[in-house]
Amino acid sequence: MATGGEPVLEVSGLVKHYPLTRGVLFKKQIGAVRAVDGVDFTLGRGETLGIVGESGCGKSTVAKLLCSLERPTAGSIRFKGEDITRLSGRALKAVRRNIQMVFQDPYTSLNPRMTVGDIVGEPFEIHPEAAPKGDRRRRVRELLDVVGLDPDFVNRYPHQFSGGQRQRIGIARGLALRPEVIVADEPVSALDVSVQAQVINLLDRLQAEFELSYVFIAHDLSIVRHISDRVGVMYLGRIVEIGRDAEIYEHPTHPYTQALLSAVPVPDPEAREDRERIILSGDVPSPADIPSGCRFRTRCWKARERCAVEVPALAVPAVFLERPAGPAAHDSACHFAQEGRVVPPESSRANGDGPG
Amino acid sequence: MLLEVRDLHVEFRTRDGIARAVNGVSYAVGEGETLAVLGESGSGKSVTAQAVMGILDTPPGRITGGEILFGGRDLLRMKEEERRELRGARMAMIFQDALSALNPVLSVGDQLGELFVVHRGMSRKAARARAVELMDRVRIPGAAQRVRDYPHQFSGGMRQRIMIAMALALEPALVIADEPTTALDVTVQAQVMDLLAELQREYRMGLVLITHDLGVVADVADRIAVMYAGRIVESAPVHDIYKAPAHPYTRGLLDSIPRLDLKGQELYAIKGLPPNLTRVPPGCSFHPRCPMARGVCRAEVPPLYEVSEVRGSACHFWRECLDGDGR
Repeated sequence: MATGGEPVLEVSGLVKHYPLTRGVLFKKQIGAVRAVDGVDFTLGRGETLGIVGESGCGKSTVAKLLCSLERPTAGSIRFKGEDITRLSGRALKAVRRNIQMVFQDPYTSLNPRMTVGDIVGEPFEIHPEAAPKGDRRRRVRELLDVVGLDPDFVNRYPHQFSGGQRQRIGIARGLALRPEVIVADEPVSALDVSVQAQVINLLDRLQAEFELSYVFIAHDLSIVRHISDRVGVMYLGRIVEIGRDAEIYEHPTHPYTQALLSAVPVPDPEAREDRERIILSGDVPSPADIPSGCRFRTRCWKARERCAVEVPALAVPAVFLERPAGPAAHDSACHFAQEGRVVPPESSRANGDGPG
Repeated sequence: MLLEVRDLHVEFRTRDGIARAVNGVSYAVGEGETLAVLGESGSGKSVTAQAVMGILDTPPGRITGGEILFGGRDLLRMKEEERRELRGARMAMIFQDALSALNPVLSVGDQLGELFVVHRGMSRKAARARAVELMDRVRIPGAAQRVRDYPHQFSGGMRQRIMIAMALALEPALVIADEPTTALDVTVQAQVMDLLAELQREYRMGLVLITHDLGVVADVADRIAVMYAGRIVESAPVHDIYKAPAHPYTRGLLDSIPRLDLKGQELYAIKGLPPNLTRVPPGCSFHPRCPMARGVCRAEVPPLYEVSEVRGSACHFWRECLDGDGR
């Protein structure tokens, strides 16, 4: 998992608003659901960027925008320097080959009437230049082998497979066109615990084998930490904190990240007593009615007047700039950023006896 | 003991043959105690709970053996009317998906109040007042106004609170919660689990928590029963199991949790898939996936060996597992 070099993806000022309309005949726009509301990040070659956040934070919309399944309202997504949001037709199609998606639900993302061979080979129908016709069958068998499925399964249907195997089929389809970037939206959350580890290991292996860059979207913080080089935390359409995995998990400075980390149940009963949980009050506000200033202020225990009027920028907070750069000096969108000690979700078992 | 399940067997008739969903399960919960039943999909954890509550679909399901003692009386020998009186009043259930468990065409106030009308013979007006009190109790803001709202008007976390309110309305002695927070976000999950734990302490009720989340279990459980393919494979106090599991399946689950010191390395993964319940492997049903499996595992079904007075493991080689051998 090498980082650095020129970024594969550069996302800046990404916005996606869905209009809310009233009336049947004369549709009048009365507002907008601000699903993604100004997101910036970069993804390096061979890097994995984890994006975490709760339902409704816009993480899945970001995934769709990256794969050009939705058109952004504003902002740009540069793939190797080229802004793909302005492309259309043939040029867009060519770029799409390079950014592929793996979906969450392996039960609904595979067509039940198509055989596995047809599902994995379908990308070649859309992009015939990727593989000559006579070669496709062989390529499909090869792909199934790569993801750990028996190539002789090509003529079976999705219902004949378990959830974990279906997710492997979805991954094989994502790999078919030899993309450089894979956007995985909750790829293991529908799977059983014992199967999740298998799929995570597969994704890890494929990354090394095919030099892939991943955008890994999930709500399970310990899995995201395991697979990611950098992690971005989203809340109500924005990234509120982003940094290297250790910076986010061990030195979080944004109150939302701290609350999120403290809420994760730790698989260690000994830690029950000495952990301090930050219980947030209330629910996430509606993305159609985002609070002024800092969007987290309605649930934040640190909020003051300034938070209601001034939108905090996603940058290294000034307090951390004075001292020599420590792990707390990473981008955090909070006026009152402060390093918080939170028991990270996995460190508790870190000194237990490990598997051989 | 408040609830004792003894050697319960449940089968389902399916197109592919008979699925043995529950295959000799025994567990017990005392007053004020939390038992976590841990297992993956198809392990039989929910079917056992449905049998206890008496809400199993029969057919296709069939209870073929065992006893379920509640306060010393066998529920399976009771008349349906008797069980109906117990349900809601003495034992209640919290479901995973509040949106489909609540009635969409009745206001939450009506649904909460109905319990008091049916079981306590209250007037509609008095029942409505109790409903507001309950919603307050589970900390739903503006309960007096929201009592007229319908389930779809609440967020997921708030709906789950209403389910909890409904389950606890008549102060039952036993509550079964089937994946109560699986559909919720982590910050909301923390709110709901906290609330549940607080109310449990207050009412001293026995709680059976069905889950697949090893984190949630470690947070709230007193005892754990780990299920695999319709059987309990390990049963122990929560601290023992996390310190040193005595069954290779439990150990596999714990080892597959991503850990800080193993970042960048391959995660431990239990190989293979859970078995098809119509064709459970002979001998120990975990043997095809077990790193420790030997000849005897293929031939002999392991009984629940006594590891200590309070602990059992259904593994022929539990001693080795406990010592950490054979990974």
